[in-house]
Amino acid sequence: MNDPTISGLITTTLAAPTLACAALALPSWFGAKLRERVISGIVGAAFAVAAVASAAALTLLLLSGEPLAHLSFGHWFDVGHYDFHITLIADHLSLPFALFVALLVGLIGAFSRRYLHRERGFLRFYLLLALFGASVELVALAGSLDLVFFGWELVGLTSVLLIAFFHERPKPVEHGLRAFLTYRMCDVGLLGALIWLHHTAGTTAFEQEHAPWAGITPVADAGAAMLIGFLLLWASMGKSAQVPLSGWLPRAMEGPTPSSAIFYGSISVHLGPFLLLRAAPVLMQTPAVAWSVIAIGALTALHGSFVGRVQTDIKSVLAYASMTQVGLILVEIGFGLHYLPLLHIIGHATVRSLEILRSPSLLHDHHHLEQAIGRQVARAPVHVDKLLPRAWQPWLYRHALERGYFDGLLRDFVVRPFLAVWRGFDRADRWLADLLAGRDPESPPPEERAGGAR
Amino acid sequence: MAHATEAPSTIAEIVGAAAHLLPEQAPLHTFVHHNTLHAFEHLSFDEAVQRAAELFGTEPYQTESAFAEHLRSGRILAADVEAVVTGDAQSREPSSPPAKGLTRAHYRRLRLMNLFEVPRGAALHWQLDETSLLRRVHRIADASRRRELQVHADLRHADAPPGQREAAMLRLLWRRLADATPNAAPAAPHPMRRRDQLIRAGGDDPDQRVHPLLIRLTAAFLDQGIATWPMPDRERGLLDAFRRIYGRPLNAPDAWMRGMAKELRLQAAEGLDAEATILRALDRLGVPAAEHADYITATLLSLKGWAGMMRQFELRPDRAPVEPRPARLIDFAAVQLTMYAFAAEHGLRTLLGAGADWADLELAQPEERPRKDLELTYEAFVMAQVAPIDLEAFDDAPAAARWLDEVRAFGELDRRRLLHRAYERRLRHTVLDGIAAHSRMPSGAPPKPTLQAVFCIDERECSTRRHLEEAMPTAETFGYAGFFGVAMAWQGLGEVQSRPLCPVNVTPQHYVTERALRPDEEQAWRNARRLRGLGVQALLRSSRAMTRGGLFSALLGWWSVVPMIGRCLFPRAAEHFLHKFVDPAKREPVTRLMLERKGDERDSAGRYIGYSVEEMTDVVGNLLTTIALTKDFCELVLVVGHGSSSLNNPHEAAHDCGATGGGRGGPNARALAAMANHPGVRQRLRERGIDIPDTTWFVGCYHNTCDDAMTWYDEDLIPPAAMPALAHAQKAMASACALDAHERCRRFESAPKNGDVAAALRHVEGRAVDLAQPRPEYGHATNAYAIVGRRARTRGLFLDRRAFLVSYDPTTDPDGDKLLALLGAVVPVGAGINLEYYFSFVDPTGYGCGTKLPHNISGLVGVMDGHSSDLRTGLPWQMVEIHEPVRLLSVIEAEPALLEKLLQRAPEMAKFIDNGWIQLVAWSPTDDRLWHYTNGAFEPYEPESRLLPVVATSAAFHHSAPGHLGCGRITASLGPAPLATTHSATTHHTDRGQR
Repeated sequence: MNDPTISGLITTTLAAPTLACAALALPSWFGAKLRERVISGIVGAAFAVAAVASAAALTLLLLSGEPLAHLSFGHWFDVGHYDFHITLIADHLSLPFALFVALLVGLIGAFSRRYLHRERGFLRFYLLLALFGASVELVALAGSLDLVFFGWELVGLTSVLLIAFFHERPKPVEHGLRAFLTYRMCDVGLLGALIWLHHTAGTTAFEQEHAPWAGITPVADAGAAMLIGFLLLWASMGKSAQVPLSGWLPRAMEGPTPSSAIFYGSISVHLGPFLLLRAAPVLMQTPAVAWSVIAIGALTALHGSFVGRVQTDIKSVLAYASMTQVGLILVEIGFGLHYLPLLHIIGHATVRSLEILRSPSLLHDHHHLEQAIGRQVARAPVHVDKLLPRAWQPWLYRHALERGYFDGLLRDFVVRPFLAVWRGFDRADRWLADLLAGRDPESPPPEERAGGAR
Repeated sequence: MAHATEAPSTIAEIVGAAAHLLPEQAPLHTFVHHNTLHAFEHLSFDEAVQRAAELFGTEPYQTESAFAEHLRSGRILAADVEAVVTGDAQSREPSSPPAKGLTRAHYRRLRLMNLFEVPRGAALHWQLDETSLLRRVHRIADASRRRELQVHADLRHADAPPGQREAAMLRLLWRRLADATPNAAPAAPHPMRRRDQLIRAGGDDPDQRVHPLLIRLTAAFLDQGIATWPMPDRERGLLDAFRRIYGRPLNAPDAWMRGMAKELRLQAAEGLDAEATILRALDRLGVPAAEHADYITATLLSLKGWAGMMRQFELRPDRAPVEPRPARLIDFAAVQLTMYAFAAEHGLRTLLGAGADWADLELAQPEERPRKDLELTYEAFVMAQVAPIDLEAFDDAPAAARWLDEVRAFGELDRRRLLHRAYERRLRHTVLDGIAAHSRMPSGAPPKPTLQAVFCIDERECSTRRHLEEAMPTAETFGYAGFFGVAMAWQGLGEVQSRPLCPVNVTPQHYVTERALRPDEEQAWRNARRLRGLGVQALLRSSRAMTRGGLFSALLGWWSVVPMIGRCLFPRAAEHFLHKFVDPAKREPVTRLMLERKGDERDSAGRYIGYSVEEMTDVVGNLLTTIALTKDFCELVLVVGHGSSSLNNPHEAAHDCGATGGGRGGPNARALAAMANHPGVRQRLRERGIDIPDTTWFVGCYHNTCDDAMTWYDEDLIPPAAMPALAHAQKAMASACALDAHERCRRFESAPKNGDVAAALRHVEGRAVDLAQPRPEYGHATNAYAIVGRRARTRGLFLDRRAFLVSYDPTTDPDGDKLLALLGAVVPVGAGINLEYYFSFVDPTGYGCGTKLPHNISGLVGVMDGHSSDLRTGLPWQMVEIHEPVRLLSVIEAEPALLEKLLQRAPEMAKFIDNGWIQLVAWSPTDDRLWHYTNGAFEPYEPESRLLPVVATSAAFHHSAPGHLGCGRITASLGPAPLATTHSATTHHTDRGQR
């Protein structure tokens, strides 16, 4: 179907946030000082427009009875047999997600006007928020995996910059960097998947086969399909903080509370499941991938639930609660469900972001709850820890307190060998260069000598 | 200070001594303001802030660039600088004159008026190489000095081409000064921890490994109910629990922890106590016994927030929010040092190889080469261009050296010390001139009061009182510490446990509670509330659980969009809706205080249940005589307690009433009113000479300073005859609260700034219930003065919500006994608030807890920055950002001779004042003379200006201007008494004293 109204509406959904970014970035680039009200007004209005447009598009699509609408912006470039088509897609997956994202970002935009009032990084925050919103809309509405990749990368970048929002302290920067590394490692999966798709299927465009919405084109070759499936799973694991890459999520709670709410409570962590929903045809095709999705999701859910129990600060508790639910959503997707995971994504994201927004009022709420119940707020009556053998308790508790040792294991068994290999290459490279240049490889390089003499 | 005297010898003593340096902040729900540098009170203010700055790496005063801005904006005047330099003993010290005609005082004045940044290290070299530093006279030199230098250059460097004479002169000057510059003093030998040595040698920071684990562990140990799985064995104490949890095999794979499990098992097997464990760790680290104290102190200070919280749980288990813990700071130190020893050893091995020992690390320290103190050269170079000196004098090397000495002798700390004095002096003049002028102006005979109201001394009530007096010129107001003498443990209806409502240093001896008039009503109310509470709890729990959370969020989660829209877009309306339709608490039953005790009943904690009539009489009589309200009672006497309620505010309790120990003073006001209405109490008061007529009724009220709402207690008990007066009072009070909200709005940047009072009230109501609002109110941020004296003398004086107003009548207190008791209560509370704001402002991240935006509540006890940081103590920046960091200026209406006598009677307070932690001023009870207490004596105060703006109302005076305001005379509250029009000649209406 190619309804011009729907096309206009989904273009608006994507264009409004993008224009908001430009409206904030350009004047500031030229040194103009924007007032807080103007900044938040632009962002709020843009996402209000996007929300209305996507809601209208969704209504029209449902009324039309068609499963999806394509919108082509022509192609960017073509080389030989490869042709980069820019297409947006409106279907039962993209539009609800786009609507929900626009609504949430708009609300957070309104919320942050008061929360970040008089903060030095006010403009930076809003610029990143708008860029983030625009990128998520791009991921949601993209008609091909190529286009998803652009949005995906920008989402990663904006999250990292918001984790490191308070860059005058070392920890936020360190934790932002950690998230960045995790993201980049996993983005390789997405990149690999789309290259391999081009290689085997010739296109990464989303087509509708049997599922309620469009998905990536199935690949004839079972081996290639499995590879692509695993690569996509790998890609989604980083963004969604799945086991064993989950260590960055609690650490990401460094930015201002509203950014934590929208990124790690709601939208950003749910992009992994979204990608997998688009990849549903591949999952259906290769049970090995589907079962892996289930296994990773279930492990994450258990891990999040187990580790979340011992967390003593409210934001970490909520981070692990998020992780648990995202794991469950993955399980649902692995079982081939469609609408349940979508509903679960939207429902969970809303609940969790509201909880994070409320987290600074915890002491107030705790006191009132205590009064209302009329006794001290007791721990829940039955818990896993009560079911565990007494002798194992300290051991398991330590396991939870150390977050499953994933961080240490990854560092010692992945990062360190990886670094060692590359340092080895570096040394070999230098040795070879020195040899070819006729220098004595044993003597220190010239710049070090100069540095030492000063 | 007991701890400052003897050198501690045992480990326990060392830890005990170090504990004094840790933050003394209790868990956040009982936030009580206190002097951040309480441990340094035995020193003078200046010594204390400078020594603490050295120890904690914090700022002692505002920064020099902040002071430069104050000089530029006129917040500090040249006259202030002049006065403080002249008054400073150091400026008068004899010195070899650095140059002919330039005295030390003159130089210092010039230096303070010409603040510039001294570049360091590479920046300095860059300035030398790349800027016009050595080519053009520095821009801060004024025009006449420039001309002087030009003439000098032309004469002295006549051989150079005219365009290059200036550069030649400057280069010569630089060379002369640089040649005479001594080497920089090596950085003071700090108590070097192994960590510092490792970092200096190029290794990793072991604290970065220890802290995350120690934070997790301590937080889990202290946690009051955030985690659903409590730490096993924590009832055995931190050290034991740590050994049990981390002493098991298959430990975390982190390389630095290798061997730690074995060590912990060994410690447990040997039954090592905390002291022995600490000694063992220090031994591992190769720390000699002489350095033990410094080493342990420095280690504890590296995570001082959590260490301090351990200490608080150890000292005050009763203040734990939910349940106490067997917390001991020494356990914490043992755990920390054990971990630290392993981390440091690991760092050593990584840096210097497996076989390295501590001696190798000491050898690996980089050598510090002596270098010239070019920063000093720079400063002397710039000042030589500013000060009236003949540059030729520097040809003589000793003269150049003398100049450098003179420059060095007035270092940054000294400059900031004096600038701080100047900053305080300006504010002192603003208010003292206002007070003097106001008390000179005659006011007519006061109208006969028709309403009396006793408020807390809190500076936030300063404006409420003023507005009440304006709205109702026949209202008379009083200030008394907001617990109103009712030091009780209070348990309100539905409260889970009692909490003390009295100053922190008092332990309540009386337990007071309330009961519903109709038990069935109470039961229904309780049930409804409980049901709702359980519902909320179930929702919260299930959203965090796995399966329930899945069902809940998948099926119902999107409904949250509705509260989300409400909270984000319409916070006030959303809260009103909730309150009206969802919250059953609004149908709160009518209750009575259980106040009177007939016999000798005590509760389980040994406190009396209620007050006997005799005790009540003492409380009421004491209050009435202190505020000198012993006759001419009106029909209604209001007693107004206060507190503050807000969302998005972990520091909510910091906005409550300090005099009730960080609680809400409503119940105290209600109790006092009930006591004063008791016929038996009145009978006994009559016997003591205080005759409260039967027509007089006391009414307790509660003022919420955040949304400016007023609650009236026990209205159903008010006799019908007093109802018209009550209606009148309520109307006036409502108007006062709205005007107060309006006045507060001028300080909020995001508040409406028009004259719409109703909109202002709506605005502050919205702030109080807004999840997104980091500044629900500004709390004590404007505190600066305390005025102890008769309200009649400050009535009508606009003090900008900046003064603690304490009612005291010197005419009824010839020996000063009442005053002494008052000061004993007011000085610590006022100074505590004031100094906490001072420190949190001058170093928002070192003493304060930084910006609120990333705060993360941990264990229900405190906040961290983001994911895993030290527990942040002090006040958040959003609370203090409009504060002016000055020491509390206490103006006491008493003759200086009497005050001097009182200070002799209270040596501790005298020491506190002599050490300069507050500023003291005596105010003559009979006329406008004032005396400023400096260097141990009262010196007559000379007003600078005798002008005082006269305006009809406060609103017309503040005019919604955003900044701090000076004093003004508000005629509306002075009643219809004829204003002396002749005095309008000495006033100017345009200047509202605004800065």
